[in-house]
Amino acid sequence: MSTALFSEDQRDALQELTNIGMGQAGASVAAVLGEFVMLSVPRILVLKPNLIPPALARIVGSEKVTAVRQGFHGDLRGEAVVVYGVSHCRELADLMGYDDVIDEATEQELLLDVSNVLVGACLGGLAEQLNAEMGFSAPSLMATEAEVSSLLDVERMDSPCALFVEVNFSLEKRSFSCHLVMLLPEDQILVLRDAIDRFLASL
Amino acid sequence: MTELTHSELSGFIADRVEIGVFALDADFKLTLWNRFMATHSRRSAADVLGRNLFEVFPELPRSWLERKVRHVQALRNYAFTSWTQRPYLFRFDHNRPITGGVDAMRQNCTFLPVKNEAGEVVQVCVTVQDVTDNAIAHEELAASMAEIEREKAEQRKLIGELAQAQNQLLQSEKLASIGQLAAGVAHEINNPIGFVNSNLGTLASYVDELMVVLDAYTGAHEQMPEGLRSAIDAQIKGVDLDYLREDLVNLVTESRDGLDRVKKIVQDLKDFSRMGESEAAWADLHHCLDTTLNVVANEIKYKAEVVKQYGELPEIECVASQLNQVFMNLVVNAAQAIAEQGTITVSTGTEGEQVFVAVRDTGAGIPPEVLKRIFDPFYTTKPVGTGTGLGLSVSYSIIERHGGRIVVDSKVGEGTEFKIWLPLRYPAAKAVAS
Repeated sequence: MSTALFSEDQRDALQELTNIGMGQAGASVAAVLGEFVMLSVPRILVLKPNLIPPALARIVGSEKVTAVRQGFHGDLRGEAVVVYGVSHCRELADLMGYDDVIDEATEQELLLDVSNVLVGACLGGLAEQLNAEMGFSAPSLMATEAEVSSLLDVERMDSPCALFVEVNFSLEKRSFSCHLVMLLPEDQILVLRDAIDRFLASL
Repeated sequence: MTELTHSELSGFIADRVEIGVFALDADFKLTLWNRFMATHSRRSAADVLGRNLFEVFPELPRSWLERKVRHVQALRNYAFTSWTQRPYLFRFDHNRPITGGVDAMRQNCTFLPVKNEAGEVVQVCVTVQDVTDNAIAHEELAASMAEIEREKAEQRKLIGELAQAQNQLLQSEKLASIGQLAAGVAHEINNPIGFVNSNLGTLASYVDELMVVLDAYTGAHEQMPEGLRSAIDAQIKGVDLDYLREDLVNLVTESRDGLDRVKKIVQDLKDFSRMGESEAAWADLHHCLDTTLNVVANEIKYKAEVVKQYGELPEIECVASQLNQVFMNLVVNAAQAIAEQGTITVSTGTEGEQVFVAVRDTGAGIPPEVLKRIFDPFYTTKPVGTGTGLGLSVSYSIIERHGGRIVVDSKVGEGTEFKIWLPLRYPAAKAVAS
């Protein structure tokens, strides 16, 4: 684990920006879901690929998970992964106002929808803070009811390291929770660092 | 020729691009409806613009779509739908009227917020992408994969069955040669038994005659001269003549008994191995059972006590050698079901027009999931190499050929009973055929 790519100031700034971005995201997600959303303070790490699966496992625990990935592009390019513990997936239908028992396709669509909302809000919030333009590709299911360790194939990862930003969502009145992980490849870390510098300079 | 302005170019592309593009204001009124949408919905832009989306297309999933659009407005962010979860938004004809494959066009949709200068979402633009070809290819691929998986599973199962069948063939081959060997040995033993038997008969009568002669001599030597008499007395004492006379008769009697038993075993073996015989004839089932029990006595005597509860049985028309095989199978199975020591009860009787033979053991019993399959060919719970898995299925078919039925009743931990019902007459058509 090394955050040497960032200076102390840059890291603090990133932490703060993410925090503000996420705060706004929490507000808009709350508006959509009609529930008060609690967000953890974002955790920021720079990890070698082989350390990413253990980092995910540490967040989620041993429960089997369903995960959705969504790419983002523009001034910042990377991927976001939203990880749900299997037991929480079933609460989504209720959360999104479906009364009836829903079929598998509808459940998956809900997962994709909620993931899209969370990713859009969080990354949109961060982009806004950085004054960056960002677009999103359609979300897709990564795995259903799988082991956390099987989510990412680190062999296929080109980047020597990645920025790993983790936020946990939970709802005040329900046991529902999920984890959002934003992953940026190494070249994008540099882009982000420049954006942070510009932000610091504008203060 | 005049140049197109940027705005004209954008407008042209948005209208003519081979992707559905439409836009909605905050009240779900249509503000854009491109050529793709018009063509596929058969509703022109002039017809729909300015009208509420749900009024024009009441078949749309209203509450879901409203929520989707509201999210885009509230979060000022994209939203998506994928054909894999929601096959289509608008039910459009697909581009395969001839080749077919799906009921309607498969669509991926993107909802994008249209923002004003201040960054407020004033409209929501939706693009509808025709992904029918991808969807069909994807589904064909998935079907092929499933088919391959199914075939692989099938093959694994077949390979397993093949290995088992080969095992069983070896086993039945072995049994068949043992049967032939036994019949051959029985035949060979018959000849020496014949002359030993007849010699023993002669020997017995000779012994009787000798005894008569000896009786006549007994005491006569008392009158002999002293030297001769004491020599004979010493001889008589030396051999313990009284015991010898008694034992000689016993030995001959026991030997004849022993020989009778050998003859019985040989006869049973011969009776039993008359497998080629398929002619139905009148037979006494009690005799069949006794024969079978004699043949297998050795195999079961350490495991189980056999209790016979024979009722009154008329002779029935049957193929005795085949029924022997069934009885043997049931008795051996019963013995094998008993772990330490138990009882095998063989009972017979009549019920209406049928006779029954029941073999009950005090063994382990058969669990329900096994019970369902015990008459299946090649099904066995015995370790590889010890059971053919054919015994009960062959028994079943033999009883069926006899027009009878075989049922099993088992309780785990208590024991199992096989009961066979047989008609008095062998089925006519089969009797003629055989």
